[in-house]
Amino acid sequence: MAKIKKTDRLKKIIKKRLHALGHWIFYVTMSLFGHTGAYLLLWPVVGSYVICSRKIHNITQTYLRKRFPNKKVYWFDTFKLVHSFSQVLVDRAWLGLNPKAQFNGRLEGLETLIKLINQKKGLIILTAHVGIWQVAFSHLPDLRVPVNVLMHYEEENAAKHYFDLRNQPCPFHIIRNDGFMGGLVEASIALSKGEIVTIMADRYVQGPYAKVKFLGYNTRVPIGAYVLAAITSTPVVVILTAKTGKKDYLVKIWDVFYPKCKNRNQKEQEVQKYAQKFVNALEEYLKVYPYQWYNFYDFWSQ
Amino acid sequence: MNELEKLKKELKEIIVRDLKLVDVKPEEINDTDPLFGEGLGLDSLDAVELVVIIQKNFGVQIIDMEEGRKAFESIETLAKFILERQKENS
Repeated sequence: MAKIKKTDRLKKIIKKRLHALGHWIFYVTMSLFGHTGAYLLLWPVVGSYVICSRKIHNITQTYLRKRFPNKKVYWFDTFKLVHSFSQVLVDRAWLGLNPKAQFNGRLEGLETLIKLINQKKGLIILTAHVGIWQVAFSHLPDLRVPVNVLMHYEEENAAKHYFDLRNQPCPFHIIRNDGFMGGLVEASIALSKGEIVTIMADRYVQGPYAKVKFLGYNTRVPIGAYVLAAITSTPVVVILTAKTGKKDYLVKIWDVFYPKCKNRNQKEQEVQKYAQKFVNALEEYLKVYPYQWYNFYDFWSQ
Repeated sequence: MNELEKLKKELKEIIVRDLKLVDVKPEEINDTDPLFGEGLGLDSLDAVELVVIIQKNFGVQIIDMEEGRKAFESIETLAKFILERQKENS
């Protein structure tokens, strides 16, 4: 028993060291050969990972088979998905290391966004783990209202780390979803002041949920955002980001709606349809950008 | 009945009515019972409604998370918070 524990510990240490070594190699490559150098390095690294790891195929197949139901999913599809995600990681590191570096962002629907903000009712932005969301949301144009992001502890650390690297103050306030009342009270206070609250609405961990049909199969998504919107009479806008070129990205509004619930005791049932609307928007997005889906686990068993 | 006692009574009635609490009568709520979890058993979504209810009924806006956390401990702390805010605003 003690021997197994020792082996496990050793495995963990080796994994951690290899992980750190991998990061170091990429940072060195970026320092010496720039953004393009790191992109080139991705080909052999991602290629060998996809060839050698059966686990990554099992993980990505759950999504790829549902997204492409009428075609055979090949290892190259897994490669494209992992490669696309790796590019986003490189981009993030590149921008973190080079505070003066800029990507070209295009915001489709800025007028709608400004209009919603000017109503001064607060605004909930729903987004998902797709595209280049961290970079895009960090570089939104000045919306003249404070932006809050309700996020998980680890993501909070990643965001802080990103801005520490850039030596810049974080442009948004982080509300931790493991804080007091899941951060919902803090979020409602922000909304009552007319501020923006951004919520990742795809991953379900705990709490109230909606059963939705996504890519033809049932899954669960959290509903806290819709109830929050209904209670505070706040509009909801679905914004999803996409990487459209080596240094280009798109931030686009995919849907706008106003959640309402008439019967307080049935609010969780009443907001189910809004969760489905969000998921529908996500499906539309994936029709255009099928390889920018970054939930690397079985999303349908969450 | 002094101002604080009156407000606590009113708060209990509003919470039971607006949060549509079944099987709970205002007079059954103790002043120092926790509002969330064990105690009155409110959840995070109820907390969001409470923020709106307090603003609508008492004209008091919770603008800081720390004060919100303290105020939401019990009926007693919530009533004291509302009174303080109303005095500051008048």
